[in-house]
Amino acid sequence: MREKFARWNVLFVQYLKRDWKKIIIWILGLGLFSAGFVPAFEEMSKGQGLLGMFETMQNPAMISMVGPTPVNTAADYTLGAMYANEMLLFCGLFAMIMSALHVVSHTRKEEDHGLTELVRSYQVGRQANSLAVLTETVIINILLALIIGGIMIGFGADTISAEGAFLFGASIGMAGILGAVIALVMAQIMSTSSGATGSSLGIVGLLYIVRAGTDVSNVDFSMYNPMGWVYLTYPFTENNWVPLIFAAIFGIIAVIIAFALEGGRDMGAGYLPEREGRAAAKKSLLSVHGLLIKINKGVSISWLIAFAILGAAYGSIYGDMQTFLESNELMSQMFTLSGVSIEESFTGTILMVSMCLASILPIVIINKLFSEETRLHLSQLYSTKVTRAQLYWINIILAVVAGLLGTLLSAGSLGGTAIYVMDGSSSMNMGDFILAGYNFLPSVLFFTGLAALALGWAPKLGKAVYGYLGYSFALNYFGGILDLPEWFSKTAVQSWIPQMPVDEFDGTIFLVMKAISIIFMVLGYIGYRRRDMVEGA
Amino acid sequence: MSEIVKVQGLQKKFGKFKALHDVSFTVNAGEVVGFIGPNGAGKSTTIRTLLGIINRDAGDVKIFGKDVWKDSLEIHKRVSYVPGDVTLWGSLTGGEIIDLFIKLHGGGDKAKRDYLIERFELDPKKKSKGYSKGNRQKVGLIAALSVDSDLYIFDEPTSGLDPLMEAVFQEEVEKIKHAGKAILLSSHILSEVERLADKVVIIRQGKIVETGTLDELRHLTRSTVTVVTDGDVSRMASVNGIYDFKQKGSQATFSVDNEHINNILSEASKLGVKKFESVPPTLEDLFMRHYEV
Repeated sequence: MREKFARWNVLFVQYLKRDWKKIIIWILGLGLFSAGFVPAFEEMSKGQGLLGMFETMQNPAMISMVGPTPVNTAADYTLGAMYANEMLLFCGLFAMIMSALHVVSHTRKEEDHGLTELVRSYQVGRQANSLAVLTETVIINILLALIIGGIMIGFGADTISAEGAFLFGASIGMAGILGAVIALVMAQIMSTSSGATGSSLGIVGLLYIVRAGTDVSNVDFSMYNPMGWVYLTYPFTENNWVPLIFAAIFGIIAVIIAFALEGGRDMGAGYLPEREGRAAAKKSLLSVHGLLIKINKGVSISWLIAFAILGAAYGSIYGDMQTFLESNELMSQMFTLSGVSIEESFTGTILMVSMCLASILPIVIINKLFSEETRLHLSQLYSTKVTRAQLYWINIILAVVAGLLGTLLSAGSLGGTAIYVMDGSSSMNMGDFILAGYNFLPSVLFFTGLAALALGWAPKLGKAVYGYLGYSFALNYFGGILDLPEWFSKTAVQSWIPQMPVDEFDGTIFLVMKAISIIFMVLGYIGYRRRDMVEGA
Repeated sequence: MSEIVKVQGLQKKFGKFKALHDVSFTVNAGEVVGFIGPNGAGKSTTIRTLLGIINRDAGDVKIFGKDVWKDSLEIHKRVSYVPGDVTLWGSLTGGEIIDLFIKLHGGGDKAKRDYLIERFELDPKKKSKGYSKGNRQKVGLIAALSVDSDLYIFDEPTSGLDPLMEAVFQEEVEKIKHAGKAILLSSHILSEVERLADKVVIIRQGKIVETGTLDELRHLTRSTVTVVTDGDVSRMASVNGIYDFKQKGSQATFSVDNEHINNILSEASKLGVKKFESVPPTLEDLFMRHYEV
């Protein structure tokens, strides 16, 4: 035991000291986000609000996005039931991703950097670091759970019971712990930190999509899915603690596997065999665009595949939506009155979500140029005839192409699957889907432009673009649920764009936003040409 | 002298690639062993095996008579290590990291730490992400030298240090050597190895190709001789044991086998020697012989 875990406690204390700022932001940020919307939901539930929301949430499309509710009649759909229904899965997903990233950055990443080698030369057990990081992450998630529970009780809403509130918090905390153990296992299997991060997030994404399918078809199957244990606790309604026990058992088994895997491998090695590379460069690599494509290839392909899968997953729900409409008179009346079909309405919403996601890849590509810069990978390029203009514009073009492809794949796979499952009864054809997707292109370009602007003038703010994207996404995601004031919704860039096919296409906004994006890119270039290269910071 | 490190028949494979074929050597107390070899020869792999960071496929590797894999923790109590590329947590200061490392080692001498920080002219209040390579290296060296160990393992410890700091490092190593500690020094700075090492181990393609004291190794290699004679110096070219003969007027430069040195001297004296210089082979000469296939 000592050989394995000696002095993990010293490392653990060290990590708390090192991370305390991050931990506070993490716990408070996620805690407030998870628990702080109670007053907004109270506002919403006034009058017929709960009834309307109950009917809306019966829509398979909504279930696929936010998860199911155990409540069968609108009368039982309380504020608490609604809050858990709409918030729990999403917040759990956040907690999972945060923990997974944290664990990889303190295990595999430090190993890649060579820090582990130095630490291990001391009287530190082989797996002390893993144990320390895991303990840190578990404690963070326990604190998170308690804070969420505390805040929710603090609002003193009738149907938000103390047990429910702490179960709600515990579910989110447990989601974080699940993310942490998944990442710990992947950190052993993969031989690089980027591989470990990518595969952990990939698993989380896959679990989410699988649960969307089982939630709509048969929710019992979701109980076999670790992602399901997060929201099947049904706080404020059934208050079922059993899924958390499953999650805890799963966590313990995963940790045992991770430790066994780590014990059996050399430092710096993984379990996936490394292929031998080429001795000479392929011709396609030998240019600035060739190099930039090569650098971004792996991440781009993974994202594009993810878009296609996500589109197909949501597209497959269109069939269930029609069944839902036929069985629900109230909703079918609503849609008949408003003059739009349910699939058109859903398409508008889902494409807005997809296009938020499609904006990530261009930002990733643009920020990559800066991280290459700080890691000194470009130092030797600068001294050749390669100009900054080449680097900048080729990178921008790459990002824009990635945005175009992402849009096409998301909208195309959504439309393709939707038309297929609806079996000819669709009121929309493939062209409608693609057009509705490209309608959001200005927002994708806007984020590309924003990232380009940051790259030119304040490259350290490149990461803040993700922040704004996340903010816009949250506003749009909850905008439909919460009744937000107009000016507030408009701070999210996508809300300027009319949601096709429900709304009419607005050519002016389309062109103006494109123009703004292009101006950002040009301004970014002016900055990029003039600024000092940041090296090694 | 007691044996501190004993490596016998060490083998290590990475997948299909055999990094170490057969590595055997020892390091004794009060001895500096220079561990040299071309890039990719297996120096760092050997050192990582010694530290119990990676596990060997075959062979017997012991430090203080204990197995390096099974008893790594026990061994690390009395071992200090500095890698060639010290990586640090960017958000901590150099001083904080040194203190952490000392604590992880099991406690060290506060006065020694402060003394070393001053000697190496390190600013301990600076966040380590702002350190240059040389300064990061200093953090590793100070942490390793501040604690009391019986074995010091240095893997190219002075890379990135300026010559003044290199000299400081060499002085400190001499001090610990005189205190009877064992030191394994892997380095490409051959003048450093030449100055510090009592024994040299040369590794090439995962095999130890030469082991011995510098004197022993020198004996195996030819010295370079320059002579100026009154008589016709070109007659030296045919003397037994002389190689690479080059003549420039009355001056000749050639290499000689050490066993023939007496014969060569007497032949040269027949020609009337005006100048005779003999330069022993440098470590670099020794080394080049093993680098070139």
